[in-house]
Amino acid sequence: MPNHLYHLTANQVTCGIRNGEFSAQEYIFQILERIEKVDNKINAFILVDKQGAIEKARSIDKRLRDGGAVGELAGIAVGIKDNICIKDLKTTCASNILESYIPPYDADVIRRLKENDAIVVGKLNLDEFAMGSTTEFSRYGPTRNPWNLDYVAGGSSGGSAASVAASECAVSLGSDTGGSIRCPSSFCSVVGLKPTYGCVSRSGLISYSNSLEQIGPLGKTVLDVVMVMNAIAGIDENDQTTKPIRPIATRTSEDISTSNISSKYTAGQNKRNITIGLVKELIQGADPAVSKCIYTAVDLFEGLDCKCEETSMKSIQYALASYYTIATAEASSNLARYDNIRYGFDYDPEGYEWNTYFSNVRNNFGDEAKRRIIIGSYVLSAGYYGKYYLKAQKARERIRQEIKSLFERFDVLIGPTMPILPFKIGEKIDDPLKMYQIDIDTVIANLAGIPAISIPIGFSNSFPVGLQIMADYMGEQTLFDVASFFEKIVDVRRSPEI
Amino acid sequence: MVSKDEIKHLGWLSRLELTNAELDRYVSQIDEIIRYFDKLDTIPLSESEWSYSTKEVSELRDDTNRVFKWGKLQSLKNRKDGFIKGPKMS
Amino acid sequence: MVEVKIGLEIHCQLTGLSSKLFCPCQCDYRGEVPNTTICPICLGLPGTLPLLNKRAVAFASMISMALGCKVQERITFYRKNYFYPDLPKNFQITQYNAFGITSIGADGKVDLGAKSIGIRRVQLEEDPGRLIYENADVNANFYTLIDYNRAGVALVEIVTEPDFDNPKDVRLFLDKVTSTIEHLGVCDIKLDGSLRCDVNVSLKGGKKVEIKNINSFGDVEKALRYEITRQKTMLIREIEIKSETRHWDDARKVTMQSRTKEEEQDYKYFPEPDIPTIILGDQFISTIKAKMPELPDERKIRFLKDYALSDHVAKVLIDNKELADFFESTVKLYPSSPNEIAHWIISDLLGLVDDSKKEERSLLSGLRIEPKHIAELVKMIDQNKVNRNIAKSVLSQIARTGEMPSCVLDKMNASLIDSESKIAEAIDSIFELEISAVRDAKHNPNAMNFLLGKVMQMTRGRADPKITLNLIKARLARME
Ligand SMILES: [Zn+2]
Repeated sequence: MPNHLYHLTANQVTCGIRNGEFSAQEYIFQILERIEKVDNKINAFILVDKQGAIEKARSIDKRLRDGGAVGELAGIAVGIKDNICIKDLKTTCASNILESYIPPYDADVIRRLKENDAIVVGKLNLDEFAMGSTTEFSRYGPTRNPWNLDYVAGGSSGGSAASVAASECAVSLGSDTGGSIRCPSSFCSVVGLKPTYGCVSRSGLISYSNSLEQIGPLGKTVLDVVMVMNAIAGIDENDQTTKPIRPIATRTSEDISTSNISSKYTAGQNKRNITIGLVKELIQGADPAVSKCIYTAVDLFEGLDCKCEETSMKSIQYALASYYTIATAEASSNLARYDNIRYGFDYDPEGYEWNTYFSNVRNNFGDEAKRRIIIGSYVLSAGYYGKYYLKAQKARERIRQEIKSLFERFDVLIGPTMPILPFKIGEKIDDPLKMYQIDIDTVIANLAGIPAISIPIGFSNSFPVGLQIMADYMGEQTLFDVASFFEKIVDVRRSPEI
Repeated sequence: MVSKDEIKHLGWLSRLELTNAELDRYVSQIDEIIRYFDKLDTIPLSESEWSYSTKEVSELRDDTNRVFKWGKLQSLKNRKDGFIKGPKMS
Repeated sequence: MVEVKIGLEIHCQLTGLSSKLFCPCQCDYRGEVPNTTICPICLGLPGTLPLLNKRAVAFASMISMALGCKVQERITFYRKNYFYPDLPKNFQITQYNAFGITSIGADGKVDLGAKSIGIRRVQLEEDPGRLIYENADVNANFYTLIDYNRAGVALVEIVTEPDFDNPKDVRLFLDKVTSTIEHLGVCDIKLDGSLRCDVNVSLKGGKKVEIKNINSFGDVEKALRYEITRQKTMLIREIEIKSETRHWDDARKVTMQSRTKEEEQDYKYFPEPDIPTIILGDQFISTIKAKMPELPDERKIRFLKDYALSDHVAKVLIDNKELADFFESTVKLYPSSPNEIAHWIISDLLGLVDDSKKEERSLLSGLRIEPKHIAELVKMIDQNKVNRNIAKSVLSQIARTGEMPSCVLDKMNASLIDSESKIAEAIDSIFELEISAVRDAKHNPNAMNFLLGKVMQMTRGRADPKITLNLIKARLARME
């Protein structure tokens, strides 16, 4: 039995359990111990479901002992961003408004994870209602960057990225509305995917901005992310915006039969002559500490038969304004339902005039949530709809069209995931516009509905740097082929000292 | 220029009663953000709009009813005689 | 004449569905225990998404077509954002046409004979829950009870152009629309609250006043008459008419200014991102067209042609599908006299119906009369087995007992034959009372009729007039 099971990748975990190298229970106890040991420093978890995790591990072990079948993700410890509903488990969105809310149903992705025998270990920290880029706007306090505890982990899925980086779970689910998976993935040096809009059901994802967001996986390797993606993707009758998607191929049929995937994993290896578009605006807008790292990687790829070409995306100038207009508009409407009547915290409505009651209750929203509700309300109000919301939709279409034409020339578009390195906790919290502006590289994929992944590409001043790869609509297969190819070349995987 | 009254009114529309300190902060922050949004206005209105995804009517949900099984853990609160208790309407 | 402009907004619950508009919950909430026909979706729990009901789209398309609207090839849903405790999400999913026409129906026309009424749009939307006050005086309650069973039930909203200039036409229009909806089989109009109507009125091109809360269609006409008079009085007194929302006070039969000060409403409409634009397509539309049931106008033409009914008779029958169906079932049983059958239905049968039932549009529910009864009765009249007077009393007997006419008549005849001696007794007493008439009767037929009338009066019409007359004649003859 290896010493530190919690450091294993998801694929190594499930192979190890299937091959009898260690049991699911041995593994999960190590994970729970690890959480106990490091999470007081990281603050990635809002809730740890010890009992549920142990029970699940026990049932997997029993089935394996009895020669029964287990699911594709058998035994893998998964952390779930706390804006994804799990039946009978508190789901808070890191908000006072939902501090005692217990959903009566499982999100579609949770149902799929459970069916695949993944072990859900707990709920992960985020910015309140996923609104933020640092996980500082959480009622449970900020999640800390495992590479330097004084620095932000990124957000809004800060808990999802930090927990994987700190080996508190093998993989996690986050949600990505404008970069919320990729930003913390980049800051914490893990792999994070925002799938094509409609590939993963949003049923059970507590809405922030419906037309932009997707649930996606975070993991230590591209393969881990693929494994989870294949489990959670697919059409869902509970989400009418879902589309059918073909599973991403990671291995040949003979690999499956031997069930030892990691050693024979070959996807991307034969990938040659990839045409890569290097988005000029994204590189130029980045901190030199970041762009230097990207250029180094590009040099590596060019040496390997990849065709790298600088290209321009003019519509980027509208991206942030378009994104924040649409996101806040949808958010202001989505957050209207929290009036504490049907669910919420204890606060008897008797005796209160209803408007007063609503206002009192809704004062429990945090600063950023309130700000976005008001901005959203502003851009939708009768006098401004045409000036902002409608124009934002037109900008969005322009971006989509330009992206479409770029993918006629390139297999993938690349650039930095984040324009800057992780910064100190508290550094930008008082300047919302500055905070919004760090999302510039990531919002494009959400506006266009295309898949994008962030993979670790190196370190700068001992802080992680992520490379963002974007592919065409429904181009997950290309994205993974290229990502795993790059991953092999740069190979920067290591664990932070905590 | 975004005004204090405007923010106050928008707050009311969203049932957010903002303190004076919040109002002061939001006015300047939101003003800055809205001015940043103004660059959208350079796009002509005639340009085509983001086309939401489409679905054929045949792909919609069939009209059959199904009872939802509420779990043991109480998800709904403020119950009175089967009703949900709300604030007074006047 | 002051120019009056009236427009309507009709809400029709699609009670013909099994499930709600956006979730699989049972759509029929009436009589259910509060908060039992609910699920996370219609309760707007975090993370739930609307799941549009296919048949609701089909029903709304049928209504659109029946009202002469063009059914749109693509439809979009919008969010109408406002706070209210009966609204689980604090927004309503509805349709909206300000940025291009995306509601399911638009630009329709309903023919009222002398004029036609424009239909601005037909749209699908969700019903909110219900607020219940333990104390009838809203102000006296310290809390409100909420039942969300109704939340999410499918509604079709029909919005007319302000093409009416008098309340009577409104009534005609509502009768026609009601009948149309009944014929489509999408809504059981007899259910309380399944059809609701808001109206707006403006005088002399002035400000529009909206009246809500009119619970029955019968009160629409009353509310309009009240409101027009109110506004005319204001014009005479030179009081400015403000754009406002008023409520119909059902008990006092007046319109009242809404108690809550209407906030400057800004519904912040925007397209619902959780429901894709739905492509209806030619095939769907042509399938619906092919499956459309016969509509009132077509049925009326057929009634005129096949049964040679008068225009008026046909209209009365067709304005209420229940009557028209009753008529056709009866004709099927006895095809020889459709006109006679129609008259029996619209005058005699309707004569037995309470006014309250007429208001509910459930005419025949309390009566035990079925088509087979009318068919047999009319046949017996045709065969001279019974005269119309007796047939009428037979009918009222059937209404109570549900017996067949022949059966009722046999019993009556038996009692008539039995009572020949009773008729003689009555004649005896009349002859004693009306001595002078008896004297004249030998020569004067009028006096003879007078005596007959007296006897009939005494026997409360149960004596057969023929037999009675013969007995009187025999009695007179014996006296000579
Ligand atoms: Zn429901």
